[in-house]
Amino acid sequence: MNEKLRDLIITDFLAIVLGLTVSALILLFLDKNPVESFGILFSSIISDKYTFAEIFVKATPLIFTALAFAFAFKANLFNIGAQGQFYIGSLIAVSSSLFLQGKMPSGIALVIVFLLTVIGGGIWGSFIGFAKAKFKANEFLVSMMSTYVALAIMNYLLRTVLIETKAEYPQTNPLDTSMWLPTFIPGTRLHIGFLIAVIVAIAVWILLYKTTLGYRIRVVGRNSEAARLAGISSKRLYIIAFLISGSLAAMAGFTEVNGVQHMLLQGFNPDIGSAGIGIAILANANPIGIIFASILFGALKVGGTIMGQMSGIPSSIIELMQGFVMVFVILSYFVRSQLEIRREKRKLRKVVEE
Amino acid sequence: MINILSRALMMSTPLLYGSIAEVYAERTGMMVTAIEGIFLMGAWGGFVGAYLSGSLFLGIIVAILAGIITAVSYAWITVYLKQHQVVTGVAINILAVGICSFFMRVIFGVPIIPLTVEPLATIPIPILSQIPVIGPVFFNQNILTYLMYLIIPTAYFILYKTSIGLIIRSTGENPVAVDVAGLTVERIRFIVVLIAGAMGGIAGAFYSIGYIGMFTTNIIGGRGWIAFAICFLGNWNPLGALIGALVFGLAEAIGIYMQSSGGGFFPNELFIALPYILTIVLTITRKSFNVPAQLGVPYKKEN
Amino acid sequence: MNKPFFELKNITKYFSKVIANNNVSFSINKGEVLALLGENGAGKSTIMKILYGLYEADSGDIFMEGVKQKINSPKDAMSLGITMIQQHFSLVPAHTVTENIILGNVKGRIDWKAYENEIGELANKYGFEIDPKALVKDLPVGLQQKVEILKALHLKTKLLIMDEPTAVLTPQEAENLMEFVREFTSSGNSVIFITHKLKEVMEVADRIIVMRSGEIHGDLKCADTDEIELSRLMIGRDINPPARIEADSEADSSEIRLQIDGISVVENDNISRLNNVSFNIRRGEIFGIAGVSGNGQQDICEVIIGALTPSSGKILLDGEDITNSSIREIIEKGIGYVPADRHRDGMIMDMTLAENMMLKDSFGEKWLKNKFIDNNKLKNYTNSIIKEYEVKAPGAEANAKGLSGGNQQKVIVAREVNNGSKLIIFNQPTRGLDLGAINHVHKTIFKERAKGKSILLISTELSEIFGLSDRIAVIYKGMIQGIYNRSELTTEKIGLLMAGYTDDKEV
Repeated sequence: MNEKLRDLIITDFLAIVLGLTVSALILLFLDKNPVESFGILFSSIISDKYTFAEIFVKATPLIFTALAFAFAFKANLFNIGAQGQFYIGSLIAVSSSLFLQGKMPSGIALVIVFLLTVIGGGIWGSFIGFAKAKFKANEFLVSMMSTYVALAIMNYLLRTVLIETKAEYPQTNPLDTSMWLPTFIPGTRLHIGFLIAVIVAIAVWILLYKTTLGYRIRVVGRNSEAARLAGISSKRLYIIAFLISGSLAAMAGFTEVNGVQHMLLQGFNPDIGSAGIGIAILANANPIGIIFASILFGALKVGGTIMGQMSGIPSSIIELMQGFVMVFVILSYFVRSQLEIRREKRKLRKVVEE
Repeated sequence: MINILSRALMMSTPLLYGSIAEVYAERTGMMVTAIEGIFLMGAWGGFVGAYLSGSLFLGIIVAILAGIITAVSYAWITVYLKQHQVVTGVAINILAVGICSFFMRVIFGVPIIPLTVEPLATIPIPILSQIPVIGPVFFNQNILTYLMYLIIPTAYFILYKTSIGLIIRSTGENPVAVDVAGLTVERIRFIVVLIAGAMGGIAGAFYSIGYIGMFTTNIIGGRGWIAFAICFLGNWNPLGALIGALVFGLAEAIGIYMQSSGGGFFPNELFIALPYILTIVLTITRKSFNVPAQLGVPYKKEN
Repeated sequence: MNKPFFELKNITKYFSKVIANNNVSFSINKGEVLALLGENGAGKSTIMKILYGLYEADSGDIFMEGVKQKINSPKDAMSLGITMIQQHFSLVPAHTVTENIILGNVKGRIDWKAYENEIGELANKYGFEIDPKALVKDLPVGLQQKVEILKALHLKTKLLIMDEPTAVLTPQEAENLMEFVREFTSSGNSVIFITHKLKEVMEVADRIIVMRSGEIHGDLKCADTDEIELSRLMIGRDINPPARIEADSEADSSEIRLQIDGISVVENDNISRLNNVSFNIRRGEIFGIAGVSGNGQQDICEVIIGALTPSSGKILLDGEDITNSSIREIIEKGIGYVPADRHRDGMIMDMTLAENMMLKDSFGEKWLKNKFIDNNKLKNYTNSIIKEYEVKAPGAEANAKGLSGGNQQKVIVAREVNNGSKLIIFNQPTRGLDLGAINHVHKTIFKERAKGKSILLISTELSEIFGLSDRIAVIYKGMIQGIYNRSELTTEKIGLLMAGYTDDKEV
């Protein structure tokens, strides 16, 4: 067990380093000095408090979308639609905030907005689970397609009922400051959404590993036939898993709308769904690991943006870094399994030769 | 009306390239989940190749190469390193976005006006294009659509009437049988995915240089996934894929028409979402599936 | 003297968890039937897969008629005239007989008509009744094997390797196969027969190689040896099967625990999987069901445990109607089930042993403390099971997939013995296990019967059925052919019943 954990940490670390190294080398195509550029990246993200806190601001929604993928993955389901569930969550968060603001104390209003977001995302997600359970529909495709539908709904609503008062751009009015999630480090944008994300990640871990519901979800994910013969209905669990998965992704909508953007606009965070999948893979779908992997991706995002501003490197360096890190992490899965096979063989030869 | 039908056939062309590629790959047990990235790389490669060389033909060659490179990376990880197909596809797709947009910048800097090339011309076929209705719909298309007319029967013939087709179909159903027959499962899967990459690259090029002559990183916008879905809905059969691609091409053509004509009563977002809603509805209502038994399962021998 | 047809020299092969072959050498001559005898896991299949090019040996050489050969893939083997029929057939179920036979052996465009005729003729020549256009999945197992043989004949094979070929056959079908083997070798071809059944070996083999733990422990002429010597070589010590323990004499008269009354299972397309099955099991009784696999055994199990709803008929447990109870209710009523396919039905391979222990009671309060799973309690319990059942495992936290088949089975048996307070169903409980594990399972079955539990034992191994059961039913095509006291049956009679011949005598 110890050897395995050691392998995991070493290979994951190497994968990240290699992913970043390759991305850095690619900068040579732009005649940029990779060492210098990455120097700027690292020094600037730790040079001031605001930028450093931005890492955690960026990590917050990623924790949620990664949890959404990981949770369904534990039931051997592919929720590729976290992006859409996030859009639905954002829509509910912004519209309910706009409706409730000023009508009640902000604390109560925020709790209600949060609950509505979670419920709405859950319902949207559970449709996918229902299609899977009832019609044996391929959840991978359905969840994938549901994102494009959610995007169309969002664009339609932003253009019509939710459009700002002056009706110039497809975006909503800004929220009252009373509906903003409080920040907890002065001089930064770091809001309590991050703390919520960490707590939710821990709660998901407890749900999966400490409760019988989580146990059953994992059993169905690993071997649905054995589960059936143990009286565990996979159909019900498919719906539950997607319900929870959908609400997790929707929470990102709440923290992004009420915590960061304070409004909803077209083209809002278009890539947190796929980044969430990458993070879940990097963390081996472990909820606690997801917290750290999200912070890493948050740092790449912040660093990439700074690189773009400071030295004329395109912001697509972010996708490059994320993509290369993910590819190398997948390769590290292979390396780990090879290491384990070799170790077993070595042990065996020893036994035989003795 | 003829316009819409002609447009529908045009829009279904890349989907058909993509879904036939997917049918072949999935028949060997390989879901090409990197198809969105392959399309994107094809679109990018096609545009870059055409813009720099001034030749659309060279653009298509570059698109094919870009598609192959993407597919080969995917196949190497999934076939030889036996990693998860969905997970690997997601990673490759993200990387494809990064690579396209980064190298657009490397090659073209920050252009002031959007870069364009002259898209593929439609070639009216003498005499045939004069036939009422059928003529303008079927025989006034570009070269890639005409090529498709050849690909459909060829794809069907190879899959069901030749030894290669038999091997491909057997690999997805029971790779052990193929292995025991002395064929290398990994090599078959790798080569088929490589060919799928070439076809996916052409499909991608269709979106950039096939009719608009431009490239943006969101140019594919899920069309790769639609091709992926068509393979499912077409029951892993090239003819099923043909029907599926035509349906989706029609939906897209109607969407474009409605958008340009102002939409009228229905919001144009509805038409944009139509192909995706259609996929969901069809996925749910689709009955007897003919899924290759070992789809998505890496072939592992004890060792 | 002539050079042997094929010769293997000093072959060694490591797997990641076991040494499969250690310095194995032997040869086969033309026209010879060679039996490769050994227990499960002795390395018989591995050495043959090396000869067939499916595995690569870590060291050692292969010679054909004295010339060294490199066999890197089955293609190489086939070109030397070798074909191997795997234990689990390597056919494509969704394809036709013809498609399966010509796979990989034709080029270019396929003339389906011509090949169908050719294969039809080949089948006729050997007296196989096979439609070349039939889908393999529609054929019974016995015919599927013939498709595999046809495949070899179509390739003009000179050395045919068969891995446990009789495991899926009735005694009569097995006899037919033996005849084919004799005919095939009479024209100078060779056959290697992988088996663990002594009787078959004595009947058909010219020469016998005995393997144990990856090594050769005997190379004997059939005429010079006997079953006792072979079994000693195979097991490595004297055999002592658990002494049969007779049931309490009271069991005969004691109350009926499980009553199966006219159960039928009919599928949508009117194919009946179970046809009017009736039997009952008393307290403290072992009731055996014999039959060739795939004749409805799995359906009987699934009907009883509530996983399959019968079309008609009734099931009573201690007089209570449980026909329409759910799987969960049946578990709670005290019926344990050791499934035939433990990988698919009985365990979660990627979970720990402790987690596997609570598989059947995830709905109860048994493993909870303050609503959360009490990992310590579960771990301690699992460790006590590991000790009691002599499971070879590092501990409760070990992953199930790391264990050998026998040890996995012990864990499942322990769990189900615990769950089945009234009735335990054992479906093929010893398939694929080594003798030590088999003995352990058999002892457990006797022990649980002694506690007054009822046992339903389903097995295709006749020795197991005869060794354990108090009463025996024979199943064929979903029908019970008859129910007998153990002493009333002989191997020959049970063989006929298994093949569908009935007589009218019933107990």
